[in-house]
Parts: sequence; C-alpha cells; structure tokens
Amino acid sequence: MTRSPLTIGPGESVERAAALMNQHRIGGLPVVEDGRLIGIITSRDVRTSHFNRLVADAMSKQVVVVSGECSLWEAKELLEQHGIERLPVVKDGRLVGIVTKSQLYAELGKRIDALTGLNRAEFLQWKASEFLQGGQEIAIIFLDLDDFGAIDKELGHVMGDRILQHAAQVLRSVMEDGIDYLCRYAGDEFAVVTLRPFEEAKKLALRMVTALIEENWPHGLKVTGSAGIAGGRRSCSRPEGDEACTVSDLINMASLASARAKKEKKAVIVAGRVELKEAG
Amino acid sequence: MPSKSLLPSSPSEPKRKADVNIRLSEFEIPPMQDVLLVGKRAPIGPEAIRRMVSALSPDQYEVIQLDHDIFEAVVLKKSLVKLLPKEKLLPLILEEGARIATEKTVVKAQVNIEIQVSRVVDL
Repeated sequence: MTRSPLTIGPGESVERAAALMNQHRIGGLPVVEDGRLIGIITSRDVRTSHFNRLVADAMSKQVVVVSGECSLWEAKELLEQHGIERLPVVKDGRLVGIVTKSQLYAELGKRIDALTGLNRAEFLQWKASEFLQGGQEIAIIFLDLDDFGAIDKELGHVMGDRILQHAAQVLRSVMEDGIDYLCRYAGDEFAVVTLRPFEEAKKLALRMVTALIEENWPHGLKVTGSAGIAGGRRSCSRPEGDEACTVSDLINMASLASARAKKEKKAVIVAGRVELKEAG
Repeated sequence: MPSKSLLPSSPSEPKRKADVNIRLSEFEIPPMQDVLLVGKRAPIGPEAIRRMVSALSPDQYEVIQLDHDIFEAVVLKKSLVKLLPKEKLLPLILEEGARIATEKTVVKAQVNIEIQVSRVVDL
C-alpha cells in the first residue's frame, strides 16, 4: 500500500480535487476531516460533478475500506465485488494508507507459482481460514509426487519442471471451480482445500491419485502420487484471525498422512476429521 | 514643437465614454427565501448550501436529502413546517419544481401559506 497518501478536505472544491489528481497522476483522493476518513472522490466523481461543487457534495460517502491486517486475496475480492479501483486502509477510523488495484495485482502475482500458474501455499492458508470463519466444514488434501527426485536425477531438472507443469494440469482437471482450491504447496507437493463433505473429499483425493496414474506421461514415464487428507469444522466462534494455527494443524495432519501413504504404498490415507477448538 | 499626444485625435479614432447605472437593493440573508431545490448536477450541492445557511441563518433551515429523478436535496425553512407538515408540503414543491428545473439547476421558491380558521364558540 501507499502510506500517508495524498488526501483532500470536504470543504475543498471539485476543481481543486481534479487539479491534484492531474498533478499527481492519481485516480482518486481519500476525503479526510479531522484525521478521519469520511469519503473518497475519484476521477469519475470529478467528471460527473460541477467544478464549483464542494468535495463533500461530489464524493462517495460509502467507502469500502480495509484494515492493515486484511489479506491480499480478501482485498482483491472486495475490489472486484464493488467494482472499485482503490481501497483506503484504516486503523481506528483513521487513514493510514491506500492500496490500488494495480498494486494489489502486482503483489498477488508474486504469490502465484510461475511454473504451474497455481496459487502458492499462502492462498490455501487464507482460503481455509476464510471458510472456517464462515462456519464451513473443510478438508485439506495433501498430495506428494512419488520418487520425484529420481525424475530430476535421471532426466534433468528441465524435464522435472515439465512434469510438474503437467501434473498441475492433470490435478486441475479433476477440480471443480468454487469448491476445490488447488495450490502448489512446495517442490513436488500440491495441496487442495475443498468444501466437499468429508466422504466426497476422500473420493476427490482418490481421483487425484488415479488421474496421475492414468495420465499418458512423456517418455513413457510413470508418475504417481500419495495423498493424505484431514478435515474439520470450527466448533464455536473464536476471535477473528486465530484460525491460521488451526489451518496449519490441518495441513500438517494431511501432510503427515501423505508421507505415511507413500511409506505404506497406499494411494490415500485419511488423517481424520477434527473438531476445531477455541485457541489456547 | 508640441508633443504628439497633445494633438487632437484623428477623426477615425472612436470616442469612448462610460455610462454608469447603479441599482441598490437590500441583500437577503441568506440569499434565498423559503425553499431551494438542488439539482443533482447543480454547481452547488447540499453540503455547500448547508454550510451557507448555517453560517448566515443558523437553525432556520433544514437540508433534506432526496431520492428523486432531478433533485438531490431540498432546503426548507423550518418555520414553514410549522404551518404545513413536510409530508404535505414537499410533494407539492417537488411536483412544481420538476416542471421547470433540470438536474443542473438550483431553483429558489417563495412559498406563502395562508391558514384559514373558522371556529364557533358558545355564547
């Protein structure tokens, strides 16, 4: 975000707001009175208002704001949901910064895995926390490719990268938009947070493993994976933002289950379904 | 030899003169009467008018935000509402105002309300 952004007072003219926006090449100004954010005036407001008007008579009074602790994806959802270009960042009603669509997209781009085009682990963490806060039951599927190190050693890292790209496509093909959220967790590990009921989530884990087995891989390779699954639902409300440690627990359970599946040469191992308790 | 500026002006140069008319009248405070109808895209908005009337005539006017095709707000002298309830007065003013106004205008209205009372008392 941009800290201490340029602002304007409600008693200034629209003409002054337009001049400031032109001078600083920005598309909007937060309107601040006595240090408190009371509105926002954008280039669109300027275009549709008479220049003599006060900023107070041209600004949007319903401002969509975020706190500094808001996640990038949450901010992106707000921007898209409200069709806006910038989000003031507030703390105790006071403006501390502003984040624009382009800034946000640039930051989000850094959280997308360049090789596979999938989101990275932070996305999974955020999405799972969001679902838990909404009282939804989730399941985490953790999938680790088997003997991937051997592929790298025998065919080289370029081929290894191609296999990872291909694996991402195969796994994506068994996902359903709006229900399953796939990410590349790290190296040759993929993870999914899904809103499917637990029994359905187990079937999805099996489909993921089966899809890899049935895929026609280059050089006649056989690529397989082992999956672990863990699920849970929050049992009672807790302070916002505390779900992250619970989500981490679930990811850990699923990851350990996938390691066991690999060791015991099973396709999927279910770590279990847990009631998520209050923190502390 | 006389300087050039003292020479009579040439016949082709126009004669210039000023005609001054002064018209004095009392300035109304605030410069409105009973009601202002503020168009949605008028050069002055409700907040500016609120600041003006509260500075010049504190507590005498009420600014009412509207959900209307043409007008954004109406500024009403509070004393009128003592004579006729807002719910009855506003529709009349808006209906007549909408006949002559556009979104870009501010319309000033003078409203005279006459109350007729006829009462019978026992003798």
